[in-house]
Amino acid sequence: MAGEGAPTWEDVARSHGRFLYTVAYRLTGNREDAEDLVQEVLLRVRRGLETYQPGSMEGWLSRIATNAFLDDVRRRKRRPEDRLPDEPDWVLPPTRGADEVLAGEVLPDDVQAALARLPDDFRAAVVLCDVVGLSYQEIGESLDVPVGTVRSRIHRGRAMLRKMLTAT
Amino acid sequence: MSHLDDLLSAYVDGELTPGEEQRVRAHLDTCPECRRELQFIGEGRSLVRGLPPVDPPFGFYERLLRPQRRWARAAVGALAAGAAASVALMAGAAPHEPRVRPNVAQLVDAHTASASTSGDPLSGITPAAVPVSFRR
Repeated sequence: MAGEGAPTWEDVARSHGRFLYTVAYRLTGNREDAEDLVQEVLLRVRRGLETYQPGSMEGWLSRIATNAFLDDVRRRKRRPEDRLPDEPDWVLPPTRGADEVLAGEVLPDDVQAALARLPDDFRAAVVLCDVVGLSYQEIGESLDVPVGTVRSRIHRGRAMLRKMLTAT
Repeated sequence: MSHLDDLLSAYVDGELTPGEEQRVRAHLDTCPECRRELQFIGEGRSLVRGLPPVDPPFGFYERLLRPQRRWARAAVGALAAGAAASVALMAGAAPHEPRVRPNVAQLVDAHTASASTSGDPLSGITPAAVPVSFRR
């Protein structure tokens, strides 16, 4: 039996469906995988509603989504045939003129493409911070890593992303 | 103090302790390189924060939340496919009108062997005019 005030998974989908889809899309980078991820999250939500504690529903959903996403990434990496390219161009040194690109000149699709090229762990931290708005402490709990690691991943993720958008 | 590195992201996110924040400010006052990096990082942060929400495809959640309907449709589809297959099978297995294929050549040979015009008592009879009509 779910605790008092615990929503049904239909409530979750109706009230937070757009938010959940957005997080899934920012994590996976394409609609097909985002739809699969949302479906997986709703299944986990249905199983886990009993343990839901009243609080930030969106934080809770984001945590489930991120863990489901990273589980899938790890599963794929164990199967070499499904391995995704994971050596993006961010290892290149910064180019001159990095300061010349302004945020207003960059299209959302370009930002999304750069986000998709970040290493998965970095992308998860950046999405939880800058899309969901969790604190470093909450991100650390979600990803089961120390706050210092969260800080490093967010910083390096932002730097890589910004660098990629300079080069395009 | 060396350069600030990932303290800068924590700084713009308000994730530093008051003491750390004071030290970062003091360093930024004297280090143009870290000030440039702060701007660089801040832009990366703003770009992601400025991304718009993404709408799911039309009817996406309705489809997810009504699996029984989807399964029902699948069942109807399977039944329809099964029925079509049954019809095809029955058509293939249905009894046809038996075809008659007499071995004409063999019958002709057998008749020729037994037939004789010389000993045929009818051979000598003058053919009579017989009215013949063909009706179907």
